[in-house]
Amino acid sequence: MNEALKQWLAAHAAAPGLLACGIRASEVLCACHSASEKCPADKMESILHQLAEAQPWLFNNRFAPNWSTWAFEQGQIRIVNRRDGLLLGLVAAVDTAAQSLDQLSEEFLALPLGG
Amino acid sequence: MSNHEKQHQVLFVDDDPDFLQLVAELFGSLSQGTWQIHRAASADAALDLLKDHRVDLVVVDINMAVLDGVQFLKILSRRYPDLKKVTLTGFATEAKRTECLAHGAELFIEKPRVADGFKSIFVMLDELLNWAPKAGFQGMLRQVGLSDVIQMECLGRNSSVLEISNRQMRGRIYIEDGSILHAVVGEVTGEKAFQKILCMTGGAFQLAPFEKPSQRTIEGPWEFLLMEAARVRDEAGTPAAAENCGAETEAAAAEAAVAATPAVRLAETLICTGRGEPLHAWQCANPDARIALFKDVAQQAERLSQILPLGKFDRLELQLTDGRAIVQTRTDRRVFVRVNHDLAVA
Repeated sequence: MNEALKQWLAAHAAAPGLLACGIRASEVLCACHSASEKCPADKMESILHQLAEAQPWLFNNRFAPNWSTWAFEQGQIRIVNRRDGLLLGLVAAVDTAAQSLDQLSEEFLALPLGG
Repeated sequence: MSNHEKQHQVLFVDDDPDFLQLVAELFGSLSQGTWQIHRAASADAALDLLKDHRVDLVVVDINMAVLDGVQFLKILSRRYPDLKKVTLTGFATEAKRTECLAHGAELFIEKPRVADGFKSIFVMLDELLNWAPKAGFQGMLRQVGLSDVIQMECLGRNSSVLEISNRQMRGRIYIEDGSILHAVVGEVTGEKAFQKILCMTGGAFQLAPFEKPSQRTIEGPWEFLLMEAARVRDEAGTPAAAENCGAETEAAAAEAAVAATPAVRLAETLICTGRGEPLHAWQCANPDARIALFKDVAQQAERLSQILPLGKFDRLELQLTDGRAIVQTRTDRRVFVRVNHDLAVA
């Protein structure tokens, strides 16, 4: 996985309200960080793989979201889709302001990663 | 009218006979004959008594053996929805309090350990017995969400004025034949006022008979208004900030969030029952596809819950290039709303 990407993820792993975050580059390549024992890194990885599988049926419904947020009673899961296939997963506390997640998502989408 | 008809009929349900004896004597004396006290040592005995007697208030111990108080409360709420119910416990926890209030208890009280405590409880129960709703109904938002009340009124095509108040603000929402016409809070009116009111996480509401508002400030479909209000509330910040939405600084934050909302245009709506039967569709070209989407989303949420238990699933929000879509799959309803950003507005 791209080194700049790993560094970007590590730098944002402790963002307020974030329980865990991870990037999925392919079926086998994932980098995950956990900031809370409520969501260990291995769970983050499983979530990323699980949500990667959900992308086709979203496309089948003619949705190509920049990001999608699964809102639960006690937390939220955000998945951000880059056009180059990279996925960013964020697990955040339920009261984390949407604006701060949006900001991280926008930043991830705009990351210049080159070839 | 006989003395019996004038008396408040109060039933205490507790498997501790000494406690029943104590409350019968103490509350009998404190009420000076205005209460007739009935006693039941089990939920079964209480249900038998309720079949044959008019009862105004049931006070239930939640830690009974066999059928505990919370289960009994659920049965009472189903069979006697108008009956006033209070729970008493020797071991109060926040979880129990929430559970009891959610199942129809008006009050959740810890058993007193000193005589003065019993006097306070008597005063509370007597107040409750003497409280009667005026026109419409009243309630506390701890038991039911404001959006649920609005939804009930709109789905039922009712006409009413919803008056909402908490320590910081007082607002009104005018609903006619299921359409939201006007909202006002302080000097703010229209959708901004509606969103500000929906920021309130606690307070009291009263559903008053409908009266024509001085002006109509809201035109959009209620489904969209509720979805937008939920989004604005999320973006206003934490529940603590939303709780104090009326306070000057937080209100300013909420207003800023409202002001920052880009102009949006409703593109599609579908509302279904919890089982996926359509109730209302607007601009929905393929309801079957959307119903299948509800199913896919619910299944995916279930899989996510198995990986990481985060409580009940509420909704999936999709941030699209040209707008947003929300897929809500609750047990009692399924809602799909899509809005497009109005790109003509900067």
